[in-house]
Amino acid sequence: MTRKRWALAAATAMAVIALLAAACGGDGNGEEGGGTLQTVLDRGELKCGVTDSLPGFGFKDPNSVYSGFDIEFCKAIAAAVLGDAEQVQYVPASSQARFELLASGEVDILVRVTTITAQRDVSRGVDFAQTTFYDGQGFVVHADSDIRTAEDMAGTTICVAAGTTTEQNLDDFFNARGLAYTPLQGDWPDPQDQFLERRCDVLTSDKSGLAARISALPNPEDYRFLPLTISKEPLAPGVRDGDTRWKDVVNWVVYGLINAEELGVTRDNVAAMAADPPNAAVARLLGEPFKGSEVADLGFGVDAQFIQRALMAVGNYGDIYARTIEQLGITRAGTLNALYTEGGILYAPPYR
Amino acid sequence: MTEPVAGARKVVLPPHRVRAQRPLGTRAREWTRENLFPSPAQAVVTLLALAFATAIVALAVYLVLAAEWRVITVNRWLLFAGGFPQDQEWRLWVSVALVFPLIGAAFGLWASLGRRDLLFMALAAGFLFFLARHGDAGWASTVWVAGSLALFFAGYLVCRLVPREPGRARSIATWTAGGALALALPAVLAVLMAAGGARTNEFSGFMMNLILAPVGIAGGLLLAIPLAVGRASSLRAVSWTCTAYIELIRGAPLIGWLFVALFILEDVIAGDLIVRTMVVLAVFTSAYIAEYIRGGLQALPHGQTEAAQAVGLGRTRTLQLVVLPQALRISIPPIVGQAISLWKDTALISAILPLRELVGNSKAAIAQPEFIENRIEVYVFAAVLFWIVAFVMSRVSQRMERSLGIGER
Repeated sequence: MTRKRWALAAATAMAVIALLAAACGGDGNGEEGGGTLQTVLDRGELKCGVTDSLPGFGFKDPNSVYSGFDIEFCKAIAAAVLGDAEQVQYVPASSQARFELLASGEVDILVRVTTITAQRDVSRGVDFAQTTFYDGQGFVVHADSDIRTAEDMAGTTICVAAGTTTEQNLDDFFNARGLAYTPLQGDWPDPQDQFLERRCDVLTSDKSGLAARISALPNPEDYRFLPLTISKEPLAPGVRDGDTRWKDVVNWVVYGLINAEELGVTRDNVAAMAADPPNAAVARLLGEPFKGSEVADLGFGVDAQFIQRALMAVGNYGDIYARTIEQLGITRAGTLNALYTEGGILYAPPYR
Repeated sequence: MTEPVAGARKVVLPPHRVRAQRPLGTRAREWTRENLFPSPAQAVVTLLALAFATAIVALAVYLVLAAEWRVITVNRWLLFAGGFPQDQEWRLWVSVALVFPLIGAAFGLWASLGRRDLLFMALAAGFLFFLARHGDAGWASTVWVAGSLALFFAGYLVCRLVPREPGRARSIATWTAGGALALALPAVLAVLMAAGGARTNEFSGFMMNLILAPVGIAGGLLLAIPLAVGRASSLRAVSWTCTAYIELIRGAPLIGWLFVALFILEDVIAGDLIVRTMVVLAVFTSAYIAEYIRGGLQALPHGQTEAAQAVGLGRTRTLQLVVLPQALRISIPPIVGQAISLWKDTALISAILPLRELVGNSKAAIAQPEFIENRIEVYVFAAVLFWIVAFVMSRVSQRMERSLGIGER
């Protein structure tokens, strides 16, 4: 009887060890030699980690059709790599699990209003591509308020989302100026409600999010933005650490859409420009021959017309912005997200 | 005449008559003091209850008069089925038509409908019709709702005809209904997915809760029985393993195990995320149910086992025929409690996993620029849906307890 017991114990222990070994010994992110680019090409579908509940950036309509600024970049990349902007599987990524989803291979790319920070870049297994949207923390007051500058906010009550970088930024900003204020914290959308009920004088968050919320109210003209931005929030697509081929493709799709705007290539005229490029820069960008010259294969692992396909699908950066962010009432002129030629900081390296 | 008659007794009115003679205002004040504010502690309770009642009334008034239910009717599909292909809607209705008569049959065979159940069903149906009227919902969905209710009652009434006493007819009916219930889930999945149906990554909304919770509960129950028996085993290796399993699983919150489904199970069992989630829900539930069944096993008098062995039953037969049926009967109330708990826990899935059940899609509905202000409506609607199902489970369990005589025998 005792021998039988021992045999059973040993068998059980071995089974447990085998199970643990299987759990730990797996190959991490399920990536074959070709990297994410090859995985996407083989699958024929791009798995894009997005948010499904932020107006303007990523949200679902009643038919579960995704739209928004981030979604357009998913479509652009799918069109560039796979030739079809509809071959995207949108994976709703929670803010808690987004980097793990990317690291585990559950998504190919994260386009989910994610701020580049040093800590994320170094230790969360994510590599950030070119910033698609420069955001920053701003302030909204009631239109009839006397508050016009940072100093006017001394002694006021400020509504802010609890446990966010926003809250920290706010504290740093006021401490640095030696100003007193009373924070009123809550989870979205409570800060907004409290502000509307005038339980606080000022509402603060990322400017894009604030604008989205204010513009959705029945009377947005009753509120006023302060001309003040107190933090840097560059929102960028993320790819897995160490996958440079894939990051190159993602980067140059974004650069390509920005360059296209600079060169005057839009969704409406891209077909005409591809048939008859006006200059060498446009021809290179669209991957078309110009005055008998060869089309150079730069070695992206996709064909030379990949940026052209992205432009056909979603248009240039300005087209995307006009379709999504501008609908929230955030004008582009004069903001960081204008082209560098128009006073912004959007500056893409040349495509050649 | 003003002189009192000598020798006449002074009439003493009973206290309530004295009181009744006083003005109405005084009486009302006294009643209030005696019944609502007899002591400071009671006064606090009264005030709290009053505040609570006011809040409820305010919410009810808001929901009936001011609420804009268009956010629900417009997002009906998003909330119920999410990414499920809309041209495959018939698959959902066929599934409903499969399941509703079975639930009715279960009520008919093992329980019975009381007046309160009928009242509740009338309320739930009324709520749905109210929504349909307020929005621009088509008549088709109203017909479907009415049809599903009719099927439920058909199943119930047919099974009421089966005699209650044990016998041939009853055992045939019981086995048929039990088998049909066991096959219902695979059948529903087949209807949803077979021959050009939905892919698993297209499951979302309320139908995802309705699929995940039963899988978790049924799978958990199946895993729990051997675990409970194993934990009570005299073989140390077996009992230690079962104990370790139970303590490990119960020691961490569900949210942690959902992360396991996402990042660790992927390498152990290949498969869709939804399949991994089902496994985690079943494993998680099994640990709890195993402990409830162990409680049932320990509550059985030793005499039962001894008597079974005395009449010559082997160990397996004793377990199968004598011990387990009684232990399971005792454990029904906590098992149903766990089932209801798991049912509501399915709302956690959207918080962690890239799957969108009802609550996840509710948040998406509120994010639509048009409906940013309608979040109370959306959350109330989601709460009512969760509550309806939880209430049905609770009633089934109560009725089963009564018909099995739990607590009486």
